[in-house]
Amino acid sequence: MSRQLLTGNAAAAWGARLARADYIPAFPITPQTEIIETLSAWCDTGEMAARLVTLESEHAMLTAAAAAAATGVRVFTATSSQGLLYAMEMIYTVAGWRAPFVLVNVSRGLASPITLEPDHTDVLAARDAGFLQIHCATCQEVVDSVLMAYRLAEDARVRLPAIVNLDGYYLSFTREPVELPAPEVADRFLPPFEPHELAFRASQPLSQAVVVLGGSTYSYFRYESHLAAQAALAVYDEIAADYAALTGRRHDVVETWRLEDAEYAFVMMGSFATKAKAAVERLREAGVAIGLLRLRLLRPFPAAAIRRALAGKRAVAVIDQNLSMGRGGVLHGELAAALYGQPDAPPILASFIGGLGGRDLPSEEFYAIAEVLREAARSGVTPPQRLLYTEHELRELRKLQAIALAERHDPRLGGRGP
Amino acid sequence: MYRIRLHGRGGQGIKTAGRMLGSAFFLSGWEVQDATVYGAERRGAPVYAYVRADHGPIHERGVIRDPDLVAVVDESLVGIPSAGVLQGLAGRGLLFILSTTPAALWQQRLNLPDRVLTLAPPAGAPPIGTLCVGAAARLTGVIDEAALVAAIRQELAGMPAAVVERNLDWARRAYAELAPHAGRVVEGGSGTAVGYAAPDWVDLPLEPAETAAPAIHAALTSLRVPTGLWRTLRPVIDYDRCNRCWWVCSEYCPDGAITVAADGTPRIDYEHCKGCLICVAQCPPHAISAIPETEATNP
Amino acid sequence: MNETAFKRLKDLPSQRLLGTGTPLCAGCGGLEALHQIYDILGGRSVFVNAAGCMTLLAVYPFTPFRGAWLYTAMAGAPAGAQGVRDALDLLLAKGRLPPAEDLTVVALTGDGVAYGMGLSATSSAIERGLDFLYIVYDNEGYGNTGQQYSEATPLGAKTATSLRGFAGRKKDLFAIWTAHRPAYAATVIGAEPLDLARKLEKALSLKGPRLLLALAPCPTGWDFDPKDTVEVGRLAVRTGVWPLKEYVDGKVTHTRLPHPRLPVEDYLRTQGRFRHLFEPVRDEALLARIQAQVDDYWAGVT
Repeated sequence: MSRQLLTGNAAAAWGARLARADYIPAFPITPQTEIIETLSAWCDTGEMAARLVTLESEHAMLTAAAAAAATGVRVFTATSSQGLLYAMEMIYTVAGWRAPFVLVNVSRGLASPITLEPDHTDVLAARDAGFLQIHCATCQEVVDSVLMAYRLAEDARVRLPAIVNLDGYYLSFTREPVELPAPEVADRFLPPFEPHELAFRASQPLSQAVVVLGGSTYSYFRYESHLAAQAALAVYDEIAADYAALTGRRHDVVETWRLEDAEYAFVMMGSFATKAKAAVERLREAGVAIGLLRLRLLRPFPAAAIRRALAGKRAVAVIDQNLSMGRGGVLHGELAAALYGQPDAPPILASFIGGLGGRDLPSEEFYAIAEVLREAARSGVTPPQRLLYTEHELRELRKLQAIALAERHDPRLGGRGP
Repeated sequence: MYRIRLHGRGGQGIKTAGRMLGSAFFLSGWEVQDATVYGAERRGAPVYAYVRADHGPIHERGVIRDPDLVAVVDESLVGIPSAGVLQGLAGRGLLFILSTTPAALWQQRLNLPDRVLTLAPPAGAPPIGTLCVGAAARLTGVIDEAALVAAIRQELAGMPAAVVERNLDWARRAYAELAPHAGRVVEGGSGTAVGYAAPDWVDLPLEPAETAAPAIHAALTSLRVPTGLWRTLRPVIDYDRCNRCWWVCSEYCPDGAITVAADGTPRIDYEHCKGCLICVAQCPPHAISAIPETEATNP
Repeated sequence: MNETAFKRLKDLPSQRLLGTGTPLCAGCGGLEALHQIYDILGGRSVFVNAAGCMTLLAVYPFTPFRGAWLYTAMAGAPAGAQGVRDALDLLLAKGRLPPAEDLTVVALTGDGVAYGMGLSATSSAIERGLDFLYIVYDNEGYGNTGQQYSEATPLGAKTATSLRGFAGRKKDLFAIWTAHRPAYAATVIGAEPLDLARKLEKALSLKGPRLLLALAPCPTGWDFDPKDTVEVGRLAVRTGVWPLKEYVDGKVTHTRLPHPRLPVEDYLRTQGRFRHLFEPVRDEALLARIQAQVDDYWAGVT
């Protein structure tokens, strides 16, 4: 086992290769395309015994993916942003088929306005679909998570599809040292897919994904998927232990960083959480007892682990790299629901929105957030939600606006004047 | 509050009937809620409408579980449990059926003493929702004929004049016929939050995906669905005239409900035949005829 | 057509393989064609279905199929067929599936999908050379929602969204398919079971994308008595409104040449959806346009 420099996209492709995926329905979209290009090349050279088929849309891609999984092969597919949304009807639909496969989503902000750089609003749109969701912070985690996602999704107690999420640019196009598990290690960790009775065969009649009439029947099937997703929490712990035993790398449902003795905490998801780690180090040097909680699993939601990790903290800042219009940060809402009414819940749960469309989170902002937390803890007053956005940024935006609005404002061109 | 259900089949004007009755109440000064409930929207499939009418705003919604009146357009539905005609009639409530069978016989058959009324459809009238509207309006005793007529005109606006007049005639006849029973249907109460029957809530167990996915691990289970109950007319083969040219009737039957014996004799599967009568129309020697289901005796 | 197993009507299968008890309307012309197809195709098949009337063939826990069925969503049946076919091929190639366990992959959709929402998926599946049979039951409207006009609705037809008669023209799906140079494409109708059987026989002898486009007389949507389904279908053929034809090896052949070709009126009069062409006053201009469309078509048939 040797370490090598890989982009997040390459790590995702390696995950599919080490999982010995049979079938890869594909459709290109930035910043995911490198994944399918890499896999396509391996299929061509025979390094991977898989078939890659480019469909005409992500909707068709997801349909083909789930249909193949429902026929009993191991399926890998990948998309991003608008592609995920285009597939959204099938994201919800196929989760109910109980046909497991892995979808890598390379996060990218959603239109409008359209952009290429990341935030998590895309993958959060799939939050309630029935897909499990694992969020990565490093390229190493990407390959590890793809393998773990297959074990989790295919487990007989779960049988739900899974999304492995990595951030566009900050992981997808960024190289980091990655240790790839040896193929025999991957094989030992992940046995071949066993579809049991849910696969099409000439000798066994089987109608799948059948329509139901009536709310009672419907409620049963929907809730069973929910129960299976919840059961995935305990199954995940077993899998994480197995993976750690084989590779020495342990990835728990949540990652904590200097949190145990902390009075304050950042809560984040995705690759920017490593920036929070760096900030925690500097803040600790400055005497601030702060730590980090990063969610790796979003679905199933690790509520108990979150409660344990944040019990007794004086104030917590949830930094959401997403935006639910008219509500704010999605994670903030999820955290509040998990903590409300719990003994030892932090009295202050502050909400910050940052990193939309790839907007950077400089370390000074983490330091300032820590200051806001300390002030809130002193006063007992939860601060209002804040968008991480500076005077300087607004001035720069005004320059762009001035150009965009030039004719409207120029009296010589019939405008109203400034 | 009045709580009334109207039962029939797709194609018998149940939706319109529900609206006619709703409007008749409304035009009489009542607060009203009416709706139609269909499963798969299919001609011949059971369908029902419900109407609530009260003196003030109505907060109840959805299925009427405790009806004051159930009016049935298609008597063949009474014996079909899945049609739900008798649902909630155990304790109180009146059952009205368009039927030539005497009410006394229905009362005995259904064990609903004094709570079944019937009306034989007038000559020339099909089993149609409008008849039930006229009957229901009279049975409540709170809708006068002018409101009934206005409601029907309103709901049939845009239909040819002849259709409107025909429906008005049917509704008036039913209204007149039921005059001796005016006011038989009385408003029901609203139950109580004291001493109610508690729901037997259960914690769903997590079950294996093979069981808990909406998948059917079997063949031909649709045979358990008795679509023969949709039928109002029954095709009957006169085997003396039958040519055994099964490739006509059996091939054309959309449902595959005409099976073929080894000697080529076609047999109609009455448990599933929906009564489309394509076989009657296509049989070369005219060996298949249609008889009313009510006159049929099961083989 | 030579060497067919279906020389006479007597040669058609006498066993009904598709189960009874489905919730489709009495007299459904689509179901009529489907059972004729299933009687020949049999249960070693997987039907990949898209939203439409026939989604209700299998309503939990009831299925009329002996073999397999997968409901997808509205747009994606050909993509679902792709996934199933590819998975079966992979399993066969890797020795994980005995050849005896293989299945014929069938996409089953109505005209709303075939002519509209699913056309992109269809075009791409044909382009990829997917080995599948695509069965369309074309009842010329969104039947499952109460017959609104679709891209398959013919000129003049009254639907729930064209109360004065549809002003557009029925899209030529057969031509769209043949422009892709598929392995096979044919129009069929349940009223002509022998023609249907021969075409299915030919389709099943070929590999690649294959279409059976069935006109599906619809008592509910077209407003006629259910007993007339076969008669309406027969008139569609005899008036030339529904040409029976097939495409194979780059060539289109008509399998029925209506002689004499009856006036389209004979067909239109059977259906309530065209009643406004005749009463209260005859719409001579529109009747002439509809007749001219049919005449133009047949003028091009040599």
